[in-house]
Amino acid sequence: MVMQILLGPQNPVPNLKQAVDRINSDGPVVVISAGWRDSEGEIDELRDITGRSLEDLKLYQRAEEVFSNEPALHELHRERQDKLRELQRLYRIRLAPTITAARKLMRTRAEPELLRLEQRAAITQLRALDAHHLRRIRGIHLNFNERRSALEVPSAQIQRDEVHSLVKNAGLILIPGGHVAVLLNRIRLFGLDQLLAQKPVIAWSAGAMAMSERIVLFHHAAPQGKRDAELLDAGLGIVRRRVLLPHAGSRLDWRNRRRMALFSRRFSPAACSTLDNGSMIQLDNGRVIASSGSSIVTRTGRKRVLAKT
Amino acid sequence: MNRQIETLYHDGPPSTEKIGEFIQNNRFPLIEPGHVTFVFRGQADEVNLRRWISGLSTAQPMQVLEGTDLWVLRMELPDKSRFEYKFEVVRDGNRDLVLDELNDVQASDPFGSNSVCQGHGYKRPAWTLPDPETRKGSLTGFQMYSEAFESQRDIQVYLPARFRKSRNYPLLVVHDGADYLHYADFQTVLDNLIHRLEIPAMVVAMTQSPDRLVEYTGDQRHARFIGDELLRELNAKLPLIDSNNARGLMGASLGAVASLHTARQYPNRFGQLLLQSGSFAFSDLGKHQKGPIFDPVVRFVNEYRKNPFALAEKIYMSCGVYESLIYENRSLVPLLQAQGMQVKYEEARDAHNWENWRDRLRNGLSWIFPGPLWMVYE
Repeated sequence: MVMQILLGPQNPVPNLKQAVDRINSDGPVVVISAGWRDSEGEIDELRDITGRSLEDLKLYQRAEEVFSNEPALHELHRERQDKLRELQRLYRIRLAPTITAARKLMRTRAEPELLRLEQRAAITQLRALDAHHLRRIRGIHLNFNERRSALEVPSAQIQRDEVHSLVKNAGLILIPGGHVAVLLNRIRLFGLDQLLAQKPVIAWSAGAMAMSERIVLFHHAAPQGKRDAELLDAGLGIVRRRVLLPHAGSRLDWRNRRRMALFSRRFSPAACSTLDNGSMIQLDNGRVIASSGSSIVTRTGRKRVLAKT
Repeated sequence: MNRQIETLYHDGPPSTEKIGEFIQNNRFPLIEPGHVTFVFRGQADEVNLRRWISGLSTAQPMQVLEGTDLWVLRMELPDKSRFEYKFEVVRDGNRDLVLDELNDVQASDPFGSNSVCQGHGYKRPAWTLPDPETRKGSLTGFQMYSEAFESQRDIQVYLPARFRKSRNYPLLVVHDGADYLHYADFQTVLDNLIHRLEIPAMVVAMTQSPDRLVEYTGDQRHARFIGDELLRELNAKLPLIDSNNARGLMGASLGAVASLHTARQYPNRFGQLLLQSGSFAFSDLGKHQKGPIFDPVVRFVNEYRKNPFALAEKIYMSCGVYESLIYENRSLVPLLQAQGMQVKYEEARDAHNWENWRDRLRNGLSWIFPGPLWMVYE
C-alpha cells in the first residue's frame, strides 16, 4: 500500500501536520518546491509546521545548473517549451468557438429532446478537442524524450542520479504548490514520474494538480475578464480520474450553475474535486479512500461533498 | 416623488415623531434604481446640494417639505454611479458647506471630507478592504537629494510580503504616493492584488511633490528627477528587474500629466503607464480656458499631439464620466493607440476623486503588470 494525501492551499490555516501524522513515516522527508521558482528551498516554515527535518531536492536550481552545463539539452528544452506554448495558442483558437457554442446551447431554450442531443454533441466536441490537444502534447514530450536520450549529458546524469537516490531513500515526499507548469517540467526533467508513484507523497495545490492525469488551468474571476478553463498538459497520472481544483472557492463562479455544469461535464468521467484551505483527500495507490473538506462539481453544476469511498 | 417620502406624507404633513421614525428607519440618501433623493433636516433659509459633477450646475436647490424642517431633492442617477457632495446651508445670509449628517459614508482628500452618494448597484470592491488571509507588505522610506530640484525629497517604498533581497522585482513609481496611501487604500489594494496573484510581487516607490502645481505641469526638472535620479537611486538600493517592461509609472490628475510628461522625456524607460483622470488639457484653436496653471500643460500636450510617438509598451487610462476631463482623456486614447502602444481605456460613473481612482486600481495594475494567477496555485 502506497499512501498519498492531497491538500488544499496551506494559507491561512495549514493542515500539513495532520497529513504528515497520518502517513506516519519515519524515513527522511524530502521536498520538491520547484514550483516556487526563485524562492525554491525556502522551507523553514514547512519545517516549523511539520516539526521534521526536511531536505529540498532543489530541482529548479539543479535544472538551471544542468542547462548552463549542457547547452544542447538546454536548446532542446527551449525548443520543446516554444512548441508547447505555440500549441497552447493554437488550442485556444479552437477552444474559444467550441466552448462558446457549448455554453450557448447550455442556456438556450428549445424542445428538450432536441436540445439534449445538441448539448451532448457540443460537449463531445469539447472533449474531443481536449483529447486531441493532449495527444499533441504527448507527441511533443515523446519527441523530446527520444532526442534527449540520444544526447550525451553527463552533468544531467549526475544530478539525476543524486535526486533519484534522495527520493529512493525518502520515507515521505512533500510537493507544495506554486507554478504548476514549472513544477511538472522539473519533475519530468529529472525522471521522477515513476519513482513518485511508489512513494508516500503529500502534495498540495499545484503539487496535487501535478499528481493528476490532466492539468486544467482555470479562473472565472480574473481581473481582465472571465477566461475558459484550459487543458495545460498531462500530469504524472498518479491520481486517477480526478481533475483537481485548488482555490476552487475563490476561482470558480459557483453562482453560474450552467457554467459549472459545463465545466463538470467537459472533464467527465473524471471527477472535478475542489481543494480549498482545509481540504484533505487520502489515496491508496491513486484511489481515493477518505476525504474531508473537499467537494466534487456535479453534472448540474452544484457542489457535492466528496464522500469517503 | 420618492416612495419613502410618499409614505411619510400618506396621512398629510407628518408629525415630529413620524419624521423621527422616518429618519431612524431609512438610510440616506434614499437610493432607488435610476434615482437618488437627498434629505437635509434643519431650519434654514435655503439649502443647496453641492456636488462635483461636470455637466450639471454645481449647486442645485433643495425644496422644503410642507409643514416640516425636511429639505429634499430627487434627481436622476444612473445605476452604479458614485459621487461626492456637501449641503450648502444658507442662514441669515451666511453660506455654510456641511456634510450630510444622515449619511455615514464619507471620503477624504487633501482638502477635507465629503459625503458620498453611492447609486443603486454600486458596491465597494472587496479587494479594497483589508483581508485577514492576505499577507501584508511593508512600508519603508528614504531621503534623497535631487540635483534637478536642488532639494531633499522623501520617498516612501512599499515592499511586498515575503520580500527577498535575493529576488528581483518589477518597479512601480507613483506620483502623490502618500495621497494614494491615505485616500485610496493603496497599501491594502497592493497587498490584496499581490496575494491573489492578480499582479506580481513588486516594489512600489511613492513620491510626493511639495509644489505639484508647478512640478507636475510639464516641468523638465521633474522629468529628470523621476526618469533619471530616482531610478538610479532605487536601482542602487533595491533588487529590481533591469528591464523597461518591468518598470511602471503612474499618477492621477496632474500626477497623470507628470507621468506622461516624464515618459515623453524618457521614452520607454517606463514600459508601463497608468494614467487616471489625467488633466491633459489642450487647445485646437486659440487659447485654452483653464487658467494660467495649465499653460505649460497645454503647451506639452499640444506638442505631443502634434508629434506623437510611442512612449511605453502598455498604457492603462481611466476617467470618470462625471469629470470635465472626460473630453481630454477620450481624445488622447486614439492618438496613443495609433502609435502602436497597447492602450486600455475605461470609464466609470464617478467623478474626479480618490475613491474613483481606488476602484480602478485592480483593472489598471493587472493590465500593466499581469500577475501569474493562471499558472500559479499556491
